[in-house]
Amino acid sequence: MTEPLLSIRDLRTVFHTDEGLVRAVDGVSFDVDRGETVCLVGESGSGKTVTGESITRLIRTPPGEIAGGEIVFDGRDLTTLSDAELRSLRGDRIAHVFQNPQGALNPVYTVGWQIVEAIRLHEDVDEPAARSRAIDLLDRVGIPEATRRFDDYPHEFSGGMKQRVSLAMALATSPDLLIADEPTTALDVTIQNQILDLLRELQDEFDMSILLITHDLGVVAEVADRVVVMYAGKVMERGGVFDVFERPSHPYTRALLECLPGRGEGAAIGGTLPPATDPPDGCRFHPRCSYAVDACSEGEQPPACAADDDPDHVVSCVHYEPGGDPSVVRDDRETRLTDGGGEGQS
Amino acid sequence: MSEDTFESIDWSETDTRLATLSRRDWAAALTGLALVAAFCYDYLVLPANRPTITEPVEWNVTQLDWLFVATLLALGFYAIVPLCTNRRLTAYYWREFRKNRMAVVGLVYLLVVFCIGVIGPLVLEKPTLALEQAYQPPAFTSVDSTVPVNCIGSVVDGRCQGTMAHPLGTTGDGKDILVLVVYGMQVSMKVGLISTLLVITIGTTVGTVAAYGGGLVDELLMRYVDIQLVFPAFFLYLLLTYLFGGSLFMFIVIFGLTGWGSIARLVRSEALQRAEEAYITAARGAGGGTLYIIRRHLVPNVSNSVITAATLLIPGFILFEASLSFLSLGDPTVPSWGQVIATGRSDLSTAWWVSTFPGVFLFTTILAFNFMGDALRDALDPRQET
Repeated sequence: MTEPLLSIRDLRTVFHTDEGLVRAVDGVSFDVDRGETVCLVGESGSGKTVTGESITRLIRTPPGEIAGGEIVFDGRDLTTLSDAELRSLRGDRIAHVFQNPQGALNPVYTVGWQIVEAIRLHEDVDEPAARSRAIDLLDRVGIPEATRRFDDYPHEFSGGMKQRVSLAMALATSPDLLIADEPTTALDVTIQNQILDLLRELQDEFDMSILLITHDLGVVAEVADRVVVMYAGKVMERGGVFDVFERPSHPYTRALLECLPGRGEGAAIGGTLPPATDPPDGCRFHPRCSYAVDACSEGEQPPACAADDDPDHVVSCVHYEPGGDPSVVRDDRETRLTDGGGEGQS
Repeated sequence: MSEDTFESIDWSETDTRLATLSRRDWAAALTGLALVAAFCYDYLVLPANRPTITEPVEWNVTQLDWLFVATLLALGFYAIVPLCTNRRLTAYYWREFRKNRMAVVGLVYLLVVFCIGVIGPLVLEKPTLALEQAYQPPAFTSVDSTVPVNCIGSVVDGRCQGTMAHPLGTTGDGKDILVLVVYGMQVSMKVGLISTLLVITIGTTVGTVAAYGGGLVDELLMRYVDIQLVFPAFFLYLLLTYLFGGSLFMFIVIFGLTGWGSIARLVRSEALQRAEEAYITAARGAGGGTLYIIRRHLVPNVSNSVITAATLLIPGFILFEASLSFLSLGDPTVPSWGQVIATGRSDLSTAWWVSTFPGVFLFTTILAFNFMGDALRDALDPRQET
């Protein structure tokens, strides 16, 4: 197996705030292989976005700081790079697409100008060449009459169209890795599907990896090859999308899946995220977990343990630790999910 | 595979890319350099009293003139050129601006004043002492024939009639008021435009850098602004006037270099909001450096408030210069409006026109700027609408 394109090991990103130290990302590890789509899933505030922004150090420092861990991209540890080196990487080999297409485009420039800038920041091309490439890109992401719309301002585009323009900007330099932070959250469902389809097409065409950050499990099911489930700055479970959806092993993943209407009981997870400045001892999820035992509230977050035969499918839960009994979680789940599925169909 | 994809990056080539300088920036930089070269030639090579150019008009370019030319070039490159290239946006602003009739009148008036002020002094002789034609009344009016020493026009019923030789009459030194007013136009435009350009350039730079830099940079810059705002620039000006004599150049430099504090604060508060916008993060994600983001993303987004503030700063400077000149604290060698008003103040009972005409021009110019500022604010900055 070749080494992964992006390999994050034990990443810790903290924010120094007036209320104290916030460990937004606390020991996160996962890999993104070439050409695959990895989804970071979790509820709001679980550290998904901070993880995504830590990769190219987009977090504001201060107050943010990458306190530890390594981010190896194509054989190079990004945490050791200077700002200038990182800058030449950003937008060139690692591109970002952001959640809010309304805000991600500068209102004072035409969309064409912004794509041309994205190209010219990294490549020494003259303006006419950059312009024709920008029009190609606009055309490629599905903007009708790209030549005419080149000179339009962002406010003359709809939300979905703006997101397409953002995509065109991100793709301007054929990045190896696209970090898409909730790219479809602000869009309505039909547009959402169009954008996801487009992402998939472009992924094949540009041969890039995608790190998709989302809270929407429907999106995950649609595009992901692998899933990383985060909760309160920790990885709860990660594995192939089929493994995670078919055999959700962590109680949190289970609870998330049960929140999906039409699957499980549609029951909300009780309680709220723990306070960011003062997370609970032991497993971060134990105060809200219905399978919690005494061991859950002691020590650190349990280490990543194999959830089943697949070595890529790991889970951070005491029940899966050597000596634990995974069936406590798993068997219960099977019965409840089957029941729930039956009700859903009737 | 990892080899060939990774090698494509040239890690040494990480400095700020000049490719992002637009053609306009290049043109502006080159013109600026040419101007500096011309200035050095004039200052170091040519003897001081030799006119810089003799064709088409004889013009010994002074320090202040150089500054004025630089200001006009900056205005051309960063106001006129964008307006011309961005036709659609210009049309939109014009439609909004046009709604305010008074502002359109004001704009036309200011353009006329500006053009006459720039060209007039090049063509017209500077008025000199000519006591034999003192106190001539303006055309179409008359004054008791005892007032002028020597009435140029006809004397009808013991009243001296004004002539078209001096349409606005003359002062007690026999200087033609129309010519003085034209010279005053240039003085006012110099004072207003150069000082304002200095103020908004420094203010915008400091404000955006403070807002985007944050932390210690912000703290240091803004505390310096606090100190500067309590610094009595007026007394510095008085002291230097006392030591070296008043000069317009000194006025502009002192008040231009010390007056930017409030603009810096205004820009900072605006830029703080803009810096949080997603497009700034997006620009960083696209690989833009700090300077690039400030210059290309932050400054254009605060420019609307800056322009609005600037149009209200210009009349402030003009009025301030006029009042200092009125108090004889100004430059005695340049005929500014305030100075002419001051010379006429003792003759108000006999020769009303000496103070009145420059006063009218001062008043209308300031009024026009204020109208224009109002309309610009409505057009550029709809959020501030009152």
